[in-house]
Amino acid sequence: MLEIQNIKKSFVQPDGESVPILDIPEFKIAAGEQVVLLGPSGCGKTTLLHIIAGLTKPDSGKVILDDVELTKFSEAIRDRIRADKVGYVFQTFNLLDGFSASENVLLGMTFARKKLDAARANKLLKEVGLGHRLKNKPHQLSVGEKQRVAVARALANEPKLLLADEPTANVDPQNQQHVIDLIRENCRKANIAILMVTHSHEVARQFDRVVDLQDLNLVVKDARSSVETSA
Amino acid sequence: MNVLQIAWRSIQHRGLGSLLTIISMALGVMMVVTVLAVHGLISKAFNDSNNFGYDVLVGARGGEIQLAFSSVYYLASPIENIPYEYYLAFCDQETRQRELKSSIAYATWQNEAQTMKLASGLSDGLSDGFFDFAFNSQQSDRLGLEREGLFDHYTHTVVPINLGDFWVSETGDAFRCVGTKPKFFTEMLISIDPEIPFEFSQGRCFEEYNSEHGYYEAVIGETVARKSGLSIGDTIQPTHGDPNAADSHIHETDFHIVGILKKTGTANDGALFLNMEGFFLMEGHAKSLEDDSVFGKAKTQRERREKEAFEQKQPGDDLENSPEIAEEGKQEVANTGAASGDQRSQPLQLEKREVTSILLRTFGGDDEDDVNVVGFILPPIINEGGLESTLNWSPFRPEKSQKAALAVNPVMTVTSLFSKFVDPIRWVLLALTLMICIVSAIGILVGIYNSMNQRRHEIAVIRALGASRQKVMGIMLCESVLMAFIAGMLGWIGGHTLTAALSPLIEDNTNVSVGFFDFAPKIPLAHFWGGRFLPEWLSSIAVSPEFLVVPGMMLLAIIVGIYPAISAYKTDVSKSLGK
Repeated sequence: MLEIQNIKKSFVQPDGESVPILDIPEFKIAAGEQVVLLGPSGCGKTTLLHIIAGLTKPDSGKVILDDVELTKFSEAIRDRIRADKVGYVFQTFNLLDGFSASENVLLGMTFARKKLDAARANKLLKEVGLGHRLKNKPHQLSVGEKQRVAVARALANEPKLLLADEPTANVDPQNQQHVIDLIRENCRKANIAILMVTHSHEVARQFDRVVDLQDLNLVVKDARSSVETSA
Repeated sequence: MNVLQIAWRSIQHRGLGSLLTIISMALGVMMVVTVLAVHGLISKAFNDSNNFGYDVLVGARGGEIQLAFSSVYYLASPIENIPYEYYLAFCDQETRQRELKSSIAYATWQNEAQTMKLASGLSDGLSDGFFDFAFNSQQSDRLGLEREGLFDHYTHTVVPINLGDFWVSETGDAFRCVGTKPKFFTEMLISIDPEIPFEFSQGRCFEEYNSEHGYYEAVIGETVARKSGLSIGDTIQPTHGDPNAADSHIHETDFHIVGILKKTGTANDGALFLNMEGFFLMEGHAKSLEDDSVFGKAKTQRERREKEAFEQKQPGDDLENSPEIAEEGKQEVANTGAASGDQRSQPLQLEKREVTSILLRTFGGDDEDDVNVVGFILPPIINEGGLESTLNWSPFRPEKSQKAALAVNPVMTVTSLFSKFVDPIRWVLLALTLMICIVSAIGILVGIYNSMNQRRHEIAVIRALGASRQKVMGIMLCESVLMAFIAGMLGWIGGHTLTAALSPLIEDNTNVSVGFFDFAPKIPLAHFWGGRFLPEWLSSIAVSPEFLVVPGMMLLAIIVGIYPAISAYKTDVSKSLGK
């Protein structure tokens, strides 16, 4: 479902020096597979998610999503593919303040080539336990409720792949497991693949596969080897 | 959700900021709409009045604009009066003869003839006939009884008017009194092309002499009736001169209202029309003769004899003794006792009469399709001095009276007034109000730009949800256009509310009534850009400039919204999204 081949990405620092961030020879996720991505801060996890979502273009390499080579297309087409095939859950929820819970979920459908379906948006909110909060604005919701709205929004466009960037990092411990269960259960039902970034090994253990970006990313791997060699 | 809904939610989310921006823009639009509506409607009213029922205006020499303003729009103070004979210069022989027979000169010469007849002992019928023939020929030659007026062959309709008096209602509103003749309503038109006659909503036109009310009948305009509550049968007492002046006073003369005009859309709506004969008879309206006439300085034997004859008479005596006047029923006044008391029962002698101005519709030929150019060529001819030659017929007329007359084409005068003074003022006002609009539109830019930091995060989220850069740019532009539209509509409604609220003030000062639903008059689109950049079919379309204000504001909003929209377009999603 997702295939990454020889992805390389580097950032240019203000002094003009190019700093490599990612160098991933190969990475695949099968349809409906639930994968956790581990790794320390700064190892390129979020950058990798942005590349997979088509928000950032890699310097080289290919990203093939649902048999479509994302990287060969222009930004506008990548935007369209993202709208149709990718759901995104953020650590900070990123709900739009001016919109109700229901409207935030509708926004998830707005840019996809699907008909806007308010009933489905409300159904999704009911499924995540927010049937009584449809008209509430984000500032009227608790942290846990906000993340549940974010999950419903990520599922609204019936994506093939759900990217979740530390979705429980800002959620209180009582609700963390509930959010994880919510994501996994809904994705399993709809056969949606998950790539979730987390620092929690407890969360990681529950997934089909755990990938450490330090092992995957040659930039980090090489740096670690050179440190070990010099030591 | 579509782009419009997202933009609207964004405006709602920034409640106070959006509201202040919208109010600021709405105030700008309100001012533009008010200026356009008020100026446009007043201009239209003036231009409608510009299609007058006459094409030459004759008054005392002074400013052309003052003459037009006082006589056409009843706004400025009249300059001075001109001799009544100038009016007769535009009349046919029959009218002149009838009018001249009400002169002191005519009555005096008649008395002289009778005296001479008696003194010479001519009593047999044959000699009587010969004497009458000789006398009439002489008299006719002196007075010009058998001649038509100097400019009669140019005249289609001519009406004199007298200004200077007002009537003050109980609420303190002052309305102009216009002394005129019944033919102002029966022969003169509101407009020549198209031909629009005066019509009465109630009652009738006043009569030159009425058996019940004598010379004291009046007709009132639609605005006067509406604002003052005057109705048929009421009486009014005009104020002599400007009611605010220290020397003004109320005439002790009652005029009976016998008719109310239908709305004409001209200054006539705000005026009261008094029968000119009654107007002349009011205190202070007759020109004094005794010390200021050729007659007063009698030198020859003949002049002294005429003076003696005049001094033995009271003003009305001449007329009572005149058989022609008796035939016309003037004696009936005394017999019936109408207009009795302190109101005089005889018309004022011709020598004592003056008029403020003369409204002349020229004769443009028999073919209705011919363009009437007489209205353009006649004023210079009149101004060359032809009128003063008409003053030498009576030794009783005042020598020092205003003689210099000025004839103008009112259309040309008013058009020149607008192009020289009013239009530039409008453009200055419009420029100022447009500046306000631009400043308030820049308010949109500032408002949106100041919220860009917060917005960058929102934009990044929307982008992450699949929105393209173009769509994000569209949302931003839509937001500023939506605000401009709301502000434009609010401003437009506000402008018309203000216009309606100012209506009484505008009406008091200009005699133009402006309502909530009165829009600025339509102007062809070609007028705005000279038609150079528009296709022919489009440039011929006429539209009220008011209806261009809201689209104009939306266009302005697009222009000022482009910068934040481009900024949104360039937003780096990865940097702005965070985690």
